[in-house]
Amino acid sequence: MLSYRPGSTLAHRLDPRSKLLVQFGLAIAAVAHPTLPWLVGTTAFALGTLAAARLSPLAVLRSYRVVLAVLALAPVVAGVALGPPWFRVDPALRSALHVGRILPVLLVSAAYLTSTPVRDTRAAVQRLIPGKPGQILGIGMALVVRLFPLVLADVREVRDAIHARGGEARPLRDRVRLLAVRSLERTLDRSDRLSVALRARCFAWNPTLPPLSFDRRDYPVLAVGIALSVSPLVPV
Amino acid sequence: MATEQSVDLVDDDTVGLFTKAVLLAALTAALAQISIPLPGPLVPFSLQPFGMFFAGLVLGPLWGGVALLLYILVGIAGAPVFSNANAGLGYVIAGQGTGGFLVGFLVGAVVAGAIAHRSIAPKPVAALSVPVQVVALTAAVLVVYAIGIPWMSFVTGLPLTRAATVMAPYIPPDLLKLGIAIAIVQGGYLAGR
Repeated sequence: MLSYRPGSTLAHRLDPRSKLLVQFGLAIAAVAHPTLPWLVGTTAFALGTLAAARLSPLAVLRSYRVVLAVLALAPVVAGVALGPPWFRVDPALRSALHVGRILPVLLVSAAYLTSTPVRDTRAAVQRLIPGKPGQILGIGMALVVRLFPLVLADVREVRDAIHARGGEARPLRDRVRLLAVRSLERTLDRSDRLSVALRARCFAWNPTLPPLSFDRRDYPVLAVGIALSVSPLVPV
Repeated sequence: MATEQSVDLVDDDTVGLFTKAVLLAALTAALAQISIPLPGPLVPFSLQPFGMFFAGLVLGPLWGGVALLLYILVGIAGAPVFSNANAGLGYVIAGQGTGGFLVGFLVGAVVAGAIAHRSIAPKPVAALSVPVQVVALTAAVLVVYAIGIPWMSFVTGLPLTRAATVMAPYIPPDLLKLGIAIAIVQGGYLAGR
């Protein structure tokens, strides 16, 4: 599983806003140009981002093995025909090219995930989206990250309790209804308690943002991100 | 010299809607990790759409949308909240060809909330009639597929009809989930919410 690892690589030292822009820019450039030269170029760029985060490409590919295995089926599905010749190469190749352009997007995403703590992305969102919407999303992200393990534990506990009472013998509809109802009840109870706790602590719109620093090294990264984002508009 | 800074408190109603949105985002993430295996060649029964259903029905279009947007943003930020503990922008764009369904859940929650409540402010769930719930949740499911299938076709290069064929086995379970969600509301489990 890909997750943040503390470090001091170039990717770790960049501001999350410039890294987010590069991610979006590369995704736009990759999907807008389903051609072999762009596939090679974006993949080389993505390998560069992995080097900047000191990540092994093989380790990243291993982490994405399920995603890649499912995506690899797409050319097979595209090529299958319901009559002679039973398999057509052209649609399969076209699909393979489409799937191939996703690879650099996944690689850059891996570099971002391993070099950027969630709190930095939350701070970037809160700064990039002005006013109360940014506040809501920023604080909301922090709370969801904090509460997700608790809610997941609740849902697993409910599932295990249903199993312990022989729930597997019940019809699917009953099992799903029980699991959804009990999980939802616990979740909404947590919501009520969180609401009381926030009000008791005078929850306010006034922001206390985590610090971010946009450094000199971020400007070239920002320029690359902008160039990639507008690349579909420029004939190459 | 004394310094003064005014504190702009969030009103109680907004705090209540905000915390529900946060917890429903967390519930959507938790349900994405749980699926019930079915016998034979049937696809596993995923519980993730319940997050969208309840967000739309309980919170309305605005806060229901916020709940699903929080879910997606937290995943992009790196929390392992997508199915099989995946995360990242790459997964939202590509997934296993199914990234469009994540965006579809967001739009689906907004659509379900808009049809069910017909205003930004949500009504009590108990005040929603069964036909309105059926229309709202059916529209949400349609929106999810209307976004997810072309997205899958675009990402994988599959023709649209073939992408639709690949996803067809998931439609009957989703309709069953829709029925279960309505049965939960009718059972009074969301009374007072």
